[in-house]
Amino acid sequence: MPDDQPGLDAWKRETSAFDRVRSVASTVSKPRTASYIADEAHVAENTAREHLERLVDMNVLLKSERGGAATYSPDPLHTRLQTLRDLVEEHDHDGLIQLKAELQERIEAWRDQYAVDSPDALRERAAETDEAPATREILATANDWELVRYRLDVVEDAIENYATYSRDYRASA
Amino acid sequence: MHGGDRSYDSADASHRALREIRRELERHPAIATVQGFPSGEFTQVVAQLATDRLDVDADDITLTVRWFAGETPDDRPQFSFHLSAGAGDFGWHHEPNPHVDGWGHFQKRSGSDAAYQYEPFEFSSTNPVRVVWEIMDLLSAELGSE
Repeated sequence: MPDDQPGLDAWKRETSAFDRVRSVASTVSKPRTASYIADEAHVAENTAREHLERLVDMNVLLKSERGGAATYSPDPLHTRLQTLRDLVEEHDHDGLIQLKAELQERIEAWRDQYAVDSPDALRERAAETDEAPATREILATANDWELVRYRLDVVEDAIENYATYSRDYRASA
Repeated sequence: MHGGDRSYDSADASHRALREIRRELERHPAIATVQGFPSGEFTQVVAQLATDRLDVDADDITLTVRWFAGETPDDRPQFSFHLSAGAGDFGWHHEPNPHVDGWGHFQKRSGSDAAYQYEPFEFSSTNPVRVVWEIMDLLSAELGSE
């Protein structure tokens, strides 16, 4: 990969090799080899492999074998736990219930507006529109709907397990 | 979850991308503040640019980022990095648009009543983290030409 890409110098200046390997590997959509991640993160392949193994040990990434080569992908549980941590730090139990209601209202509003029950059904609706702006708006809403539905699922988890997730072990240290 | 790959969840992948975009913007010296938006939903990332560090003559420049990883792991991501600066706005998008060939494009208009001007744009990478740093480099030049 060429070294004259816009922003590359600043990225390398402001981040460590470990940062770049972690952030690239955490955002791949399918399992990737150390070689692919090294190329995207602009680090040597051996450096990438060393950091990737560390990230597997930290439960940030999952390691698997594909075609005889080791591949790495984000651990969905790690992302979910990070989101749960943010939620219980930003909201108390009542605040989470309020947030749940807001997310439910958002989804209900889309259901009423488009008369469909899911983002997939809304995407099918997009195929029936006659004008490009309307199609783009519907597709963007379908994407938002998926994200809000994911968020709602995590918020419900946070509410159900609030006592466990909000326990502060630092207080008893 | 979509397609034949049962390990892939497009919402999870998109949310993860948005979290990493927020983290990278927090690292960038030209960013003053950054947050998930709307605050409870986190379907976008919104950042305020540190205009004094960019040396541009504007008080308030807002960057709004949208990212959807795709319905299957093999799909191209749909995303946009769009800036509102004064009366006008501009941004780099990666999504279908009838005004340009291909997905990558730059669009700009001088005011809310003006029509957008479009031109094709090729991203160096479609990894969310790489896109952040590429766009932050390009927007400095674009703001300087305003």
